[in-house]
Amino acid sequence: MQERGVEYDRLDERDLALWLQANGLGKEYDLIWCRAISHSQAAYALSIFNGWGIRTVNSCQVVNVCGDKVLTSMALIQHNVPTPRTVVALSVEAALQVIQEMGYPVVLKPAVGSWGRLLSKVNDRETAEAVLNHKATLGGPAHNVFYIQEYVDKPSRDIRTLVVGEEVVYAMYRRSAHWITNTARGGEALPCPLSRKIRELSSAAAQAVGGGILAVDLMETADGRLLVNEVNHTPEFHGAATAVDVDIAGKMADYVLQQM
Amino acid sequence: MRVGVLCSRVRVEEKLIFQALQDRGVDGERIDDDAVTLDLTGGLDGYDVLLIRCLSHSRALYASKLLGDNGLRTVNTYQVIATSGDKLLTSLALAKRGVPTPRTRVAFTPQAALEAIEEMGYPVVLKPLNGSWGRLLAKINDRDAAETILEHKHTLGGYQHSIFYIQEYIEKPGRDIRSFVVGGEVIAAIYRHAPHWITNTARGGEAMACPITPEIVWISRAAAETVGGGVVAIDILEAPDGRLLVSEVNHTPEFRNSIAPTGVDIAARIVDYVLEVATMEPGR
Repeated sequence: MQERGVEYDRLDERDLALWLQANGLGKEYDLIWCRAISHSQAAYALSIFNGWGIRTVNSCQVVNVCGDKVLTSMALIQHNVPTPRTVVALSVEAALQVIQEMGYPVVLKPAVGSWGRLLSKVNDRETAEAVLNHKATLGGPAHNVFYIQEYVDKPSRDIRTLVVGEEVVYAMYRRSAHWITNTARGGEALPCPLSRKIRELSSAAAQAVGGGILAVDLMETADGRLLVNEVNHTPEFHGAATAVDVDIAGKMADYVLQQM
Repeated sequence: MRVGVLCSRVRVEEKLIFQALQDRGVDGERIDDDAVTLDLTGGLDGYDVLLIRCLSHSRALYASKLLGDNGLRTVNTYQVIATSGDKLLTSLALAKRGVPTPRTRVAFTPQAALEAIEEMGYPVVLKPLNGSWGRLLAKINDRDAAETILEHKHTLGGYQHSIFYIQEYIEKPGRDIRSFVVGGEVIAAIYRHAPHWITNTARGGEAMACPITPEIVWISRAAAETVGGGVVAIDILEAPDGRLLVSEVNHTPEFRNSIAPTGVDIAARIVDYVLEVATMEPGR
């Protein structure tokens, strides 16, 4: 931002107290770029800013869709973007039954959450029972919405791309011996050629959720297909710096300035 | 004689207990634990004995402590409730007294628990320290399951769910044994048959009569004595090599499903014991 001669302020979300009746910040800012770590804080702050008529990157709508895996999957499916087979069940019993029908392994994910937290690879019925009962008993109401996905046997890596507006900026592999490949959990970032297929799917996924600055997680299936797994609304990219030779922050800043 | 029964709901068990009291010419007074208040120097004075049948372990725990410390006789005592209501304290008490029990380890972080599990080998069982009716028991068959269950406990559960209680899995012959010990005597025993590894009758385990062998008598009495006597139910596992192992002790046992198969009037036996306690010196 500095290099582009733009005046900017850092707003620490911990300092914010937003009067809903008064458009306090709108008088001062042409645009607010949200990099809040917490999904719910981002979602509520953006809904207020957008409600006041302030442009934001990303929009409140995009953040809501990406922050909720059920909504993301629905958006991807409605836009014909290939994604793993997914079921949502609303009781432990219904979840158990559908998992038995799908066959093991399956993956259970909290509808809201990041950094690979509370992902479960469920290999047998006893695990399914234990995981579902722990969610139902210990978790709040949100954990009683069971998001169940077929397990995709990845080649010890997945692909993460960064989409900024219309452009797919880079792709990288995240290699990990663990099935959870998040770099936050020790996945290693490696260069990945940006093929036409990766480009098209990433773009399609980003547009499906509403577009903006987005990271798209793709998985390679054993039979060579690519599936979009998740779309992230506030991508971290420090892990990518070793794998890609792009001025990521610069690309993002240019996009943000274009939105004003 | 004044007998109080501190309870939550009046279940089949409590109905039978009130009936047995009446049969003996005693009016049992129901004290609702939703409504009761206790203070540090008394409350509920004038009772010769209080039978504690709270659904909630923590209510039973603190009620027995407050009442017992103020000189009231309770069945069970605070010691029994405190020990048998906590699986870790139970295991420790059993192990110290040489009562056979499954190998058990405790860890305080998910990382340490995972290491302990990998060392023990799969399958293992994870149990919450407090809890009944087989709730949140987890049979862990592989590392994927261990990782995610530990994370769920740690992230979603309260602090007590981060005391990880890890036990070797005992391959049971499709059943376990529950014995009832009242005042040091083994009054009844049932098999709980279930296709599921969790055999609680509350979860569909089927109760059938179990012959009270000398081994069952010995291990049941030893387990009951270990936690402090009173009225308890002992859960016993039969290991593949024929050993009996105590897995849990229950301080407020349900027994409705154990009466028909054993032909034992369990409520009557409990009441007889309670009336006996009523005549003992407090602080026995």
